[in-house]
Amino acid sequence: MAVTHDGQCVTEPSAPFPRRTALQLAAAAGAGAAVAAVPSRAGAAPARKPPASAVPRFLHGVASGDPLPDAVVLWTRVTPRPGDDPGSGLGPVVDVIWEMSADRQFRRIARSGTVRTGPDRDHTVKVDATRLAPGTWYFYRFRCQGVTSPVARTRTAPALDATVARLRMAVVSCANWQAGWFTAYRHLAKRQDLDVVLHLGDYVYEYAPGEYQARDVVVRPHDPPREMTVLADYRRRHAQYKTDPDLQALHAVAPWVVTWDDHESANDAWAEGAENHTPGIEGEWRQRRSFAQQAYAEWMPVRYEVGGQLYRRLQFGRLANLSMLDLRTYRDEQVGSPVDPALGAPDRTITGPEQFDFLLDGLADDQVQWKLVGNPVMITPVRFPNALDTRLAAGVGALVDAPVPPVGGVPYNVDQWDGYPVERAKVLGHLRDRGIRDTVFLTGDIHSGWACDLPIDGLTYPVNGNSVGVELVCTSVTSDNLDDITNSPPRTTSLAAETAFKANNPHIKYLDFDSHGFSVLEVTPSGAQMDWYVLTDRTDPNAAAIHSVSYRVPAGTQKVQPAPRKLA
Amino acid sequence: MNPRTTVFDRRRFLQVGAAGGAAVVLSTAVGAQPALGAKRSDLRVYVLVADGANPAEVEPLLMPRLATLRREGTWFGNARSLPVMETIPNHVMMMTGVRPDRSGVPANSVFDRRENVVRDLDRPGDLRFPTVIERLNATGATTGTVLSKEYLFGIFGTRATYRWEPEPVLPVTGHAPDAFTMDAAIAMVDEFDPNLVFVNLGDIDRVGHSDLTGPVLQAARKAALASSDLQIGRFVDHLKATGRWKRSIVVVLADHSMDWSLVTNFVSVAQILSARPDLRDNVQIAQNGGADLLYWTGGTDRRDAALEEIRRLVLAHPGVLSVQRPDQLRLGAEAGDLVCFARAGWRFSDTTPVSNPIPGNHGHPATEPIPFLVSGGHPVVRRGVVGSEPARTLDVAPTVGALFGLGAPRGGYDGTARTSAFTRLPAR
Repeated sequence: MAVTHDGQCVTEPSAPFPRRTALQLAAAAGAGAAVAAVPSRAGAAPARKPPASAVPRFLHGVASGDPLPDAVVLWTRVTPRPGDDPGSGLGPVVDVIWEMSADRQFRRIARSGTVRTGPDRDHTVKVDATRLAPGTWYFYRFRCQGVTSPVARTRTAPALDATVARLRMAVVSCANWQAGWFTAYRHLAKRQDLDVVLHLGDYVYEYAPGEYQARDVVVRPHDPPREMTVLADYRRRHAQYKTDPDLQALHAVAPWVVTWDDHESANDAWAEGAENHTPGIEGEWRQRRSFAQQAYAEWMPVRYEVGGQLYRRLQFGRLANLSMLDLRTYRDEQVGSPVDPALGAPDRTITGPEQFDFLLDGLADDQVQWKLVGNPVMITPVRFPNALDTRLAAGVGALVDAPVPPVGGVPYNVDQWDGYPVERAKVLGHLRDRGIRDTVFLTGDIHSGWACDLPIDGLTYPVNGNSVGVELVCTSVTSDNLDDITNSPPRTTSLAAETAFKANNPHIKYLDFDSHGFSVLEVTPSGAQMDWYVLTDRTDPNAAAIHSVSYRVPAGTQKVQPAPRKLA
Repeated sequence: MNPRTTVFDRRRFLQVGAAGGAAVVLSTAVGAQPALGAKRSDLRVYVLVADGANPAEVEPLLMPRLATLRREGTWFGNARSLPVMETIPNHVMMMTGVRPDRSGVPANSVFDRRENVVRDLDRPGDLRFPTVIERLNATGATTGTVLSKEYLFGIFGTRATYRWEPEPVLPVTGHAPDAFTMDAAIAMVDEFDPNLVFVNLGDIDRVGHSDLTGPVLQAARKAALASSDLQIGRFVDHLKATGRWKRSIVVVLADHSMDWSLVTNFVSVAQILSARPDLRDNVQIAQNGGADLLYWTGGTDRRDAALEEIRRLVLAHPGVLSVQRPDQLRLGAEAGDLVCFARAGWRFSDTTPVSNPIPGNHGHPATEPIPFLVSGGHPVVRRGVVGSEPARTLDVAPTVGALFGLGAPRGGYDGTARTSAFTRLPAR
């Protein structure tokens, strides 16, 4: 992949404070936002001062992603001189050498090359390193003017026809800098067993300090100190996140496979707008989105450049393919209410027609056993229970950023596939019509942990349990969830909501509305299992991660069931 | 016990004892000798077809014996049937290892242009590719077929060294119950001990077809699954009790699975075309449950345009999943001009809406998933393994061939020898 890119560096003044309604939860709770007095950690400061020396520095870590059998994307950002800050547009064009080796000491260089970067792409470096051996660990590093980056490791995917005994991946989403520490990433980085890190979106958040944090506490404020709306803002925000040592550590242990959800651009984004975008005041949506996408292309280790498509498919031998979806760029606008008749319009789309065909093709691939889908928003039908008390119902409404439905039994979140039921029915019908087995939707977005069957027929499911796939949902790394919104202690009031949701939706087998953390997924020919880990306190930089629960999908069953033990 | 022998035509009929004192009649080619004293490989391979089983049904509570075989062998978790997902073509693919465009057998039912009739492909001459059965016989090995369905007995004919003609055959279903089929398989093993025995167990399929609770519960079918599992267990127990287990490799798979439709959910192509006599009167339909094969019988000058119009009309029906050309599916000329597949929960009923009233059907893609395991007592069997490889029905012949050291047929196999199920190939 060529790194030269006609990027545009824009340094407009900060945008006015945007209007945002649904997630103003701190205000609803009667408390104003405040910066928390949490001790700062190395790398956690919003703008690290570069040293006085004029040698290049690699301040944002290194990363890799999108492994193919013979290629992997390598990434870094070089700061040529002090002051050549992200988003500044300052700094010279420099050459950066990349090197890969099978050994950490780089005694023998397996692949190398030189890449030129400069302010046009914010001094980020992205290389598609090719002609690699399949299923192989490599170490990699960058060098610029005699300065060497940290060394990290990555792994190519197995050969397309390889027999693969095991694929193990971290599954994460929704990491709001202002809401806590990325200790989830740190705990994952300590593991030695990850082949891939799957990030399902909301890698960065667009908000200004005080707009969205940990309940009413800003654990650490965003930089720039405003909602990001222009290219320089998006670049600076990405750069800030990549100063986090835990994030850097996790990028360094395995290749990432990423997709965006809405907060990489703006809350509840759709093709022509977003809930958190005010046309005019915040510019035109398409322009703002292009800024977000350009920064994403520059700053993420992903095989994507502006003007291309983010949705793509990876394959891990005969064991699994992984279809990564973009459910923001092409979707129709969310309906205003879950009882809006427009919900059932036959041509409503969340994928767009081309991506829809792409998804169906991947699901129908009979040469691989498991069909994994990197699915930014939930596909499981979820009906709102009518047994919730008013406070809990309002809290769930806030969690999904939508008004509480007026009656029980209607979809509870029309920003998910529930808002596009005809298209979802086509996907599930495709699974059934084609006899497609072992499909797992891997999902983020909703700041809660779920394990669900995907019934083809909600009426007969309670009798026969027939399911055409499953969905496993990881919770948020830090972003607020139900107990945060209702301002309740964890695992107290939310338990009633969880019970009511499961009773009203018997295909939902596991639901944790409160915890923050991460998941680990293992896929083998005999089954898939997800372990959920929860953090003791997202605002504690030294928080522990505790195994919470595990669910398993025995191959061929299309059903989740409790797993007796966590993955070894 | 000495078999009672009658020579008739080019076959010998042998009446041998079976469990419970019943008699089983087996036939053999004139000149073929029982195993006693013959110089043959020690290896025994048994291919058992649980006709119509779904892989999800192989679980300890429902099918404990199959679940044990699965646990003690290699299970292919991504196994599928091939078009058209019907009994005859998939049994043929198992034994030939080639696609229907080479074997001449794309479906159960076809329109025979030469005879101008829709008929089953149940004649020995319908199968035009050498099977692994005949090819093994040519090496001096012996083979046996124990096929519960009359049309299977028909198409495989006298290819095997030893054959069992299904008996008693139930009216309507046209098959012998599994208990009798397994009696015959055991008797054949006891009497002739062929190197390869190919067994079809028809109960799961036949009960599934008629299970009125199919769309929701499949209650009757579950009973059939348990019963067939018992019969497979009987066979395994017999191999063990007679000291054969350690030289036995058992392949268990299905030819297709099953899908159920409500009585109202049928597609009749004849009905769809009823408003277009110019099309209806120039098309023959071979109904295959979840699939219809359409044959243009009109003038060649109108053929392409007419087929395109038929395709458009049929695709518009909500119960139709796809309409494809046979060459897209490697089905060959016998499959006609268009192949229509039903969606899950639908069936074809042609030429009239009452032609196919049964709830359980197959032939369409929803019925592709099949169980496929390799087990047995032979030391080369890899145990406790689950594989992701895309095993298919047409992989059976190459796998059996590899076990016996048989080379590929002329033109090669279309299937793949699933040798990952073995630690090594048996010594010859």
